[in-house]
Amino acid sequence: MPHEEPLPADLLATARDVLLNELLPALPPGKALAARMVANAMAIAARAAAQGDGAVPGDARALAAAIRAGAHDPGMPGHAQAAALLDDVTRARCAVSAPRALPR
Amino acid sequence: MDEARRARLAAWLREAAGDASLVIDHAALLSGGAIQQNWALDVSGGRAWVLRTDNAATLAVSHGRAQEFSLLRAAHAAGVTVPEPLFLCEDAGILGAPFFVMTRVAGTAAGHRVVRSEALGGGREACVRALGRELARIHSITPPRADLAFLGTPPDDPCRAFVADQRAALDRQRTPRPVLEWGLRHLERTAPPPIPAVLVHNDFRTGNIMLDEAGVTAVLDWEFALWSDPHADLGWLCAKCWRFGNDAEEAGGIGPRAALYEGYGSVDDARVRWWELAAHIRWASIAVDQAERHISGVERSLELALTGHMVPGLEWEILRMVEARDAA
Repeated sequence: MPHEEPLPADLLATARDVLLNELLPALPPGKALAARMVANAMAIAARAAAQGDGAVPGDARALAAAIRAGAHDPGMPGHAQAAALLDDVTRARCAVSAPRALPR
Repeated sequence: MDEARRARLAAWLREAAGDASLVIDHAALLSGGAIQQNWALDVSGGRAWVLRTDNAATLAVSHGRAQEFSLLRAAHAAGVTVPEPLFLCEDAGILGAPFFVMTRVAGTAAGHRVVRSEALGGGREACVRALGRELARIHSITPPRADLAFLGTPPDDPCRAFVADQRAALDRQRTPRPVLEWGLRHLERTAPPPIPAVLVHNDFRTGNIMLDEAGVTAVLDWEFALWSDPHADLGWLCAKCWRFGNDAEEAGGIGPRAALYEGYGSVDDARVRWWELAAHIRWASIAVDQAERHISGVERSLELALTGHMVPGLEWEILRMVEARDAA
């Protein structure tokens, strides 16, 4: 059987609204930062639940080693392809962890 | 601090200060960093001190309290605005870990407040000019120094030493980091020539500098200091990832880069830019390590967990910086 709905992303988003709109205003000022961190963690988890993982396709360890060895330097045949791959993976990772880092 | 510790501490301070009538009137835990505990001590005779000791879990790359005390003494002697270091206790039997005591300095360090203020530090331009002067004083400390022997042998080529150190750090991590490798390879390809190493604070940024409305009141957090390229400190301060959202003020989100450079004196801007990319890579690597302390169970903490989620944003910035530098 599939998981009962609403699914994790919806639950987290709904719970986060309660935290920010109902609980945060009632908290002492010294606990506001902790509440905002909880809200931030819930937002990340909700986006991750909606998106799936952001793994590098193929062998990330081999790619890292090849980059270190200079195999993807500018002027090398694989440079543009490696740059595009890193952009795509990082864009997807930012979409979960840090969407505000991306251009709008 | 429990009664027994406080009594042992008072006895130790009486001896260290040569004041048999010394009394601790009040001891309160200050909001400290992830690595240390800082205690505010109010001591008889109107003395306001800070006691600095280690948290249970510490980063292996930071210096211990004895080394930090030596760094503070060297900085104080060089005219850097730091709290005056008073006493060092290397006996863990007093508090459970070595500690030192320094004068307590008033001011605000919190990054988000500092970058929003037009008045702190004497105003934006005056503040970053003063920060430039502070850095120049720090960089006047040069090897060899017997009192700083724990810093090891200065590197012949600080830029290449940085790349090697960062690669070694990546090799210790669980997960490969192709984007950080991409940035490091760019740094290796574009490394400026060797330069004589000086004392580099290595965490000189908004958040670690205490200010009041008259100016700088203290340069804090010396535990990452090393012999390196002086431009490393300028790059760390100017790096976009340390502007606390106030990107238009390129010197730490506080003030204009030009005023920082003027306060400093002679600056090779291209070297600073190299170190700004280096700063993003180093901060990303530190963030990975901090998240790992949470993931491994060494120190379960929401703050550390969220720090790990800063890594993708730093990686995005690294990719954009490399792209722009390669196109230039």
